Amino acid sequence: MTTFAILLGPPLLAAMLATAMKPYRRIVGWVNALLSLGSLGAAVALWRHILAGEVLTSGPLEFLRADALSTLLAFCVSVVGALAAWLGPGMGGDDGYTAREARRFRIFANLFTFTMLFAVTSNNVGFMWIAIEATTITSAMLIPLHVTKASVEASWKYILIGSIGIALAFGGTVLGYFDFVSLAGRHETALNWTVLMASAPRLHGPVIQLAFVFILIGYGTKAGLAPMHTWLPDAHSEAPAPLSAMMSGVLLAVALYAVIRWEAVVNAAVGTGFTDGLFITLGVLSIVIAAFSLVVQRNYKRMLAYSSIEHTGLICVGLALGPLGTFASMLHLLNHTLAKSMMFFLAGRVLHRYRTTEIAGVSGLLTTMPWTGGLFAAGMLAVIGLPPFGLFMSEFALFRAGFAAGRPWLMGLVLALLTVAFVSMIGHLNRMLYGAPAAGTAVGEGSAWPLVPLGACMAALVVLGLTLPAPVQALLDGIVEIVGR
Amino acid sequence: MESLFSQLCVLGSSLALITGLILLWRRGVQAYITAFRWQSWAITAVTLIVAYFGDDHELYWVAAALFVLKVMVIPRLLTRMAHRFAAERELEPYVNTATSLVVAGLLVLFGYTITRPLVALSQLPTRAGMPLAMGLVLVSLFVVISRKKALTQVIGFLMLENGLALLAVLGTYGIPLIVELGVFLDVLMGFLVMQIFVYHIHETFESIDVEQLNRLRH
Repeated sequence: MTTFAILLGPPLLAAMLATAMKPYRRIVGWVNALLSLGSLGAAVALWRHILAGEVLTSGPLEFLRADALSTLLAFCVSVVGALAAWLGPGMGGDDGYTAREARRFRIFANLFTFTMLFAVTSNNVGFMWIAIEATTITSAMLIPLHVTKASVEASWKYILIGSIGIALAFGGTVLGYFDFVSLAGRHETALNWTVLMASAPRLHGPVIQLAFVFILIGYGTKAGLAPMHTWLPDAHSEAPAPLSAMMSGVLLAVALYAVIRWEAVVNAAVGTGFTDGLFITLGVLSIVIAAFSLVVQRNYKRMLAYSSIEHTGLICVGLALGPLGTFASMLHLLNHTLAKSMMFFLAGRVLHRYRTTEIAGVSGLLTTMPWTGGLFAAGMLAVIGLPPFGLFMSEFALFRAGFAAGRPWLMGLVLALLTVAFVSMIGHLNRMLYGAPAAGTAVGEGSAWPLVPLGACMAALVVLGLTLPAPVQALLDGIVEIVGR
Repeated sequence: MESLFSQLCVLGSSLALITGLILLWRRGVQAYITAFRWQSWAITAVTLIVAYFGDDHELYWVAAALFVLKVMVIPRLLTRMAHRFAAERELEPYVNTATSLVVAGLLVLFGYTITRPLVALSQLPTRAGMPLAMGLVLVSLFVVISRKKALTQVIGFLMLENGLALLAVLGTYGIPLIVELGVFLDVLMGFLVMQIFVYHIHETFESIDVEQLNRLRH
């Protein structure tokens, strides 16, 4: 109980504090930052329980539950939540936000973190749905933090497409519940994932398959899977940097988490063939669209957004490649969270200095901001999958799983698409790093301390690129066992 | 008794679907709001019928929540918005009326096709209404895609939610009450945020036509 309280409590407290303090004061930001470490500590504690072979549950009817899959996601969410709390608006200094905007950010970003943490620790798939729907609402409120034509457009597309998607996921949840009720009668605990899982082998095939189609389209919309991805580049590019980092780093992962929960049920009911086919179709489509959109990209935040679609597609393909593929996918999810949230924060720093999101408007990044530019370059190399960074390892593992699963053609296609993405992103990166900075661009880092936590992300990526630490391995093994193949 | 129950459910579901179709051939926002209110009435009625015949007391609470939220509160807020944007009618949707109605017919047929396994599996007397609820979900989805005014899209989204609520009641006599209440809360919050954004669109673009939302490409 206490672990869950320390995990879920801090963002809620911080949001209440920010609501209570009007006008906004800097102390709110600092308290928020310290509180965010509480969630992070609780996530680590959950991880230790997993390593000790325990699954923590809490509340009436096992309301909250943290198995290996939940723990990985809780860890990712609390890391990015902490980054957003430390590097978000309203910590003092000139960060380009007014006090009102900072207050709004602190309220909704913390609620956003809370809803994500709740989504991944709720055992009840109904509450998981409610929490994920609430992530749309809380995050949408932050996209038009500065009201401009572009941000209004992005927020409208996001709330509309996101809400519709999530409504369809509700339809899928109802159909899954329908299947269970037709089998076992109405139950207080019938929406508990553990109960669904236990009765999965007796579920009625065609119905649970229909339910999964709804679930995949629904949550897939939030995860940024093509062809439902159209909101994603707009929202990620127009949102303030800390929100982009949270959305790209973990919101997509949380949506995938929901899909994986249901995937486990469906696989237990009808075997893996059905979900594999769907995952490969949508995953490859996402990679195709992302790769070719990267070629024509002129905006660096949109470039990062399309790269997120590409990686979501990769994770999806990995889920269809048996136990090895699931392992690689989950490792990739962790790597992507670290890399992409760091990149969006760095992009925020670049935007703050150059006042433009156009790639063409940014030149000489290494001259104007050597540390930011250096980290940005390294992060970009990590994102496109070069060694010695974690994403190289997970992509490598994914390809190995693909060949082991007897899908060489699929892997060849994916590899070709990754090459397209690779070449175009290297080109964009070159244009930003070198050349003469535009006249009047200030030189120097400005406030340098935000680079410390971002550098820590980078260090973690390098560690994951060189070795697979035993706790990570054990956690991922636990997930593979849950998804069960 | 059983057949009366079943027939009432089908009748209520049909009404819900027909009120959904009104969005496809009327032009004025006020007509849409009226249609939405009637649809919510129909769904509240179906919930009450299921609660009575199915002897399920939780569903009375759900019906009460439906009534307050979707018959009273949301239509009232919609009307307030409609007064602001009274001049904005759905004059040129992306798909014209005749085609829209044909598409809607096909979607309802498609709804029947995909719910066949559900109807085959279910033993409940309410099962005959499920294809109609699925039809409403699909038609509402089509409304959101094919209409240009932000307000029409919001109403389409609300009707989609109605269709899903209907599906849940008919298929399972409702999901557990506590989850249901969470869903209602989400619907209300989502609607309020959408409302804020419609005002944003109107302030920044001086119209609620979503066709102008085309700055962000590629």
